[in-house]
Amino acid sequence: MSLQKPLMRGMLGKRLRFHLPIAFSLSLLAAIAFKYAVTEPRKQAYADFYKQYDATKEFNAMREAGIFESVRPSEE
Amino acid sequence: MAHPSQLGFQDAASPVMEELLHFHDHALMIVFLISTLVLYIIVAMVSTKLTNKYILDSQEIEVIWTILPAFILILIALPSLRILYLMDEINDPHLTIKAMGHQWYWSYEYTDYEDLGFDSYMLPTQDLAPGQFRLLEADHRMVIPVESPIRVLVSAEDVLHSWAVPSLGVKMDAVPGRLNQTAFIASRPGVFYGQCSEICGANHSFMPIVVEAVPLQYFEKWSSLMLED
Repeated sequence: MSLQKPLMRGMLGKRLRFHLPIAFSLSLLAAIAFKYAVTEPRKQAYADFYKQYDATKEFNAMREAGIFESVRPSEE
Repeated sequence: MAHPSQLGFQDAASPVMEELLHFHDHALMIVFLISTLVLYIIVAMVSTKLTNKYILDSQEIEVIWTILPAFILILIALPSLRILYLMDEINDPHLTIKAMGHQWYWSYEYTDYEDLGFDSYMLPTQDLAPGQFRLLEADHRMVIPVESPIRVLVSAEDVLHSWAVPSLGVKMDAVPGRLNQTAFIASRPGVFYGQCSEICGANHSFMPIVVEAVPLQYFEKWSSLMLED
């Protein structure tokens, strides 16, 4: 019975062909995950905030809370 | 203002700061992309007993790892330049305020129509009312009308200072003998805090900036009252 010839060459190439596609895919996945978990929700949050934003109402609420120094609450 | 255990930027209160936030997200996404790739390669390299001593060069890989980073840099540069030019647009300010840095307080001058000027010292910790912020409150705030383009001319009377309000996306060095200009629009009413951003001596950390954005009619009432005083 004869032994199988061991793998003599091409090990780096084989390793690269296996690992590099995984490496690039994982890094692309990380970027896409960050984009859809952080970037897009933040853009949407700002858009939604200003869509319903009533500056006068918010100003009056802050005024009554006594936050401003140039404008005191209306009872004062 | 900043809050405890905060990791990211403060909420934007001006259109430019919103753009900067989104650009930072874009740049950070690219950082994660590259870091993930490099980390995977490092782990793959340390987790093998195989070595290769016979590769001397490879034109193909040299081309790839030159073109790809150049492409990534262009992806970063284009939005960056867009914001740079956005910040430089002719903005036709409604109001010009001079912010002068001193050791260790700011003074504000509203000289468009009348001669209004006042100093802004930090409120000492023992004088704070409940709910006020330590090392951030000032005795006189810089009041501005909301949703109006404001021009701030920044300079200093003694040493270098820097006028910065993170939530408005503004930072401008105060250099003695030099007038620096910056501009912003407060998108919403509120109170926005900043701190001196150039080392200027013993009390550099104790000369905060407080900007109060209120509707125009209240700004006008405030400025009349200040003039009377």
